[in-house]
Amino acid sequence: MISPFRFKFFFALLIVWGIQNAKAQQDSTRSKPGKDSIDYYDLNLEQLMKIKGHDLPTELESLINSLISVASKKPLSTRESPSIVTLVTAEEIKNSGARDLVDVLRLVPGIDFGVDVEGVVGIAIRGNWAHEGKVLLLIDGQEMNEMLYASTQFGNHYPIDQIKRIEIIRGPGSAIYGGYAEYGVINIITQSGADINGISVAGTYGAMKDGMARQNISIAAGKKINDFEFSIAGLVGQGNRSDQVYSDFTGRTFNMAGSSSLNPNNVNIGLSWKGLSFRGIYDSYQTSVGDGYDKIPPKPYSQDFNSMFAELKYVWQINKKITITPRVNYKRQQPWLTPQSDSVAAFNILAERISANLSLSYNITRNINLVTGVEVFHDASTELDTGHFVDGSKMVNYMNYSGFLQGLVKHRIVNVIFGARYDKNSQYGDALVPRVGLTKKINRTNFKLLYSQSFRSPAIENINQALTPQGIRPERTEVIELEGGYQLTRKSLFTINIYNISTLNPIVYYVVGLNTDAYVNFGHSGTRGIETEYRTRQRWGYITANYAFYTAQGSTEVPNYQVPGNSNQLLAFPSHKINFNASINLNKHFSINPSVLFRSASYGYVTNTNPDSAALGIPLLHKFEAQVFVNLFLNCNNIFVKGLSAGIGVYDIFDQQTLFIEPYNGPHAPLPGTSRELVVRLRYDLTKEKKE
Amino acid sequence: MSRKPKHIKNALLFTFLLLSGQGLFNRARAQDVDYKSYSLFVYNFIKYIEWPDSKSQGDFVLGVLGDSPVIRELEKLAATKKAKGRTIVIKRFSTAEEVTECHLLYVTAGKSGTIKALRDKIKNKPMLIVGEREGLARKGASLSFVTLEDDVLKFDINKSEIELHNLKIPGTLILLGLLI
Repeated sequence: MISPFRFKFFFALLIVWGIQNAKAQQDSTRSKPGKDSIDYYDLNLEQLMKIKGHDLPTELESLINSLISVASKKPLSTRESPSIVTLVTAEEIKNSGARDLVDVLRLVPGIDFGVDVEGVVGIAIRGNWAHEGKVLLLIDGQEMNEMLYASTQFGNHYPIDQIKRIEIIRGPGSAIYGGYAEYGVINIITQSGADINGISVAGTYGAMKDGMARQNISIAAGKKINDFEFSIAGLVGQGNRSDQVYSDFTGRTFNMAGSSSLNPNNVNIGLSWKGLSFRGIYDSYQTSVGDGYDKIPPKPYSQDFNSMFAELKYVWQINKKITITPRVNYKRQQPWLTPQSDSVAAFNILAERISANLSLSYNITRNINLVTGVEVFHDASTELDTGHFVDGSKMVNYMNYSGFLQGLVKHRIVNVIFGARYDKNSQYGDALVPRVGLTKKINRTNFKLLYSQSFRSPAIENINQALTPQGIRPERTEVIELEGGYQLTRKSLFTINIYNISTLNPIVYYVVGLNTDAYVNFGHSGTRGIETEYRTRQRWGYITANYAFYTAQGSTEVPNYQVPGNSNQLLAFPSHKINFNASINLNKHFSINPSVLFRSASYGYVTNTNPDSAALGIPLLHKFEAQVFVNLFLNCNNIFVKGLSAGIGVYDIFDQQTLFIEPYNGPHAPLPGTSRELVVRLRYDLTKEKKE
Repeated sequence: MSRKPKHIKNALLFTFLLLSGQGLFNRARAQDVDYKSYSLFVYNFIKYIEWPDSKSQGDFVLGVLGDSPVIRELEKLAATKKAKGRTIVIKRFSTAEEVTECHLLYVTAGKSGTIKALRDKIKNKPMLIVGEREGLARKGASLSFVTLEDDVLKFDINKSEIELHNLKIPGTLILLGLLI
């Protein structure tokens, strides 16, 4: 007897088979008109030199086969790159109406956000809190991570209107990028002068239920004139983290509406002439802190993150096979800059890094490439207020020397990538991180098998605040990843990957007693999990849907990260995450862009406000139920005049209210994010038509 | 009776339909190799390469060893174009042993392993061996196709092998290919 399920299954199979056969027959009748003409065989020499080996790619194929170098230095397609990679395009950012980088990155499998202290929101990847030095954020090659704690700060911060593309490695990148890329790399590439080719102005206004969320304006100008190219872009704005009420562990409350400033100021200049290029970035992220480090202060105080980056690079192509690239960088930062006030003691430490890098790329044959190089940097940090470092000095200096090597062999059967980076630091010793990757794309299928070691360099304050006299050492991580990809049709792709992350002696932040914190290498941490993604790009628009799952499987020995009674999950981050993002073209001008984020239950510590409880004021473990965030954005391109686009949408339609949970058992209660937000955007690209 | 809850079954069914609808069981393809481009280059090989006088009479025999979608394109080529005024005749071979004398022998990707045997068999006869798969010019073919990273189609040229077969390749064609 056939069960109803089997019957339904076979019936479905029959329908599908019928439809597909009909489609196949239709396809077989299609022809390529241009190429069937006799003239096609009489192309001239110049035309023959441009003949392609494959049919015209679909939009999806152009995207997934585009060359990126974030994972290998040597450009490879995303499907053959030796990392698990996500590509986000300017078009996707614009269509989605993303308010800031948090909105963009949340749609990436495995990426999430939590709160650190003093209103700062940081990043997590694959269930691991990666805020301090575990995910490297690059903007046009400049390392945004601040040097005192190696953190990055999210929320109405980085300019997203100027982004051309984001390449995200959801795995280790230390073998290329060193000590801040232990768990991942976010490589943001902004529009070049040629991309802007004129002037671009964009404005965003966002209103939450009970107050302004953001009002930002971004301006960019750029052009390419023969070999010379320039771009200058700026962002200035005001914003608020939330319009909700924050409660600290003592039960004190603070209304964040209008008082949780997140004000970005950013200038980005790029100049290039032939192989010589200069990049300068100024970034000042001005925040006001009403939540405090642990207890809510009597009055909110200001806290700024000021950075300046400069890079001079020359790409010297000696011949077709050899390219030498010398590069010098200067980075100057005053992160967590806090003036003395009644609420808080001053914090004013200057951190500077000067680095020199020389790399060589040698194409031994068409299919064998070698990249090698050396890098040296000098870190200096100076206390600019009354404070001093733990050794009593006002200034500390470290030197770091490193060498790296990468070999790439492209073979018909498999591509092999191997490499290693060695770092030796005058303060915390050395680290050697090898990696090996096997990748291959065969017609519709691709696979990647990757083994990488990576490390996290202790940052200046990690060294300064070491718990033990032995000091702090780099933490070491081993990651194994396996990815399979299958192109279901020429316009859709399905990928799935599994990973195992194992970190030995992680640098853990401890709160020791009252007002004392410290860092120590402790035990073992890590996660393993699975991530899948489905992408389709059609004439009517596109859909991206993904699912991410992680488990700690009891392997995390760090009590600060653990959820008591649940060895599979870590604090703050849900085990399951599902994202759905689509863009549907209503006509030539209008598109409707829904996105949905599902987060399964998560855990964090909350305030015990029960006055009858003996534990009043002592943080309590709390289970936060699953949440679904639904966003909708309507975009209109070339409205009234060419280049003018406008959009309106609502983020968090059902007002679930984002909550950033502290991913370690620290001093901070969950921090509210935005409530339902109405977002309006306007953009005008005044572009001069390129002459053909 | 199955123990799977009903909603799981329905979810499985839905997923199956979704994936099927996207072509999992279809002859859906990746970005296709453009064999028309391959045939275009073959035509240019015929056009520019010089065979000895002893081979300049009668039909131009284009041999194909193995099976490949390129055959359809080569047949179209033979039907529409001439080889320096001569009719192009396609001759198909299933195995290296079957191969008989022809002007140009196209070795399909599936028969790449026979290159060495073919080379021994053909020796210095005036035949141009064209390999469909990358790298065959290093293993004894006269020319072999290669797709570069920017998807531009090129061909490797084994000049000494060409000369060994008493053929001449002009500078025009060398400019188009990559000497190994």
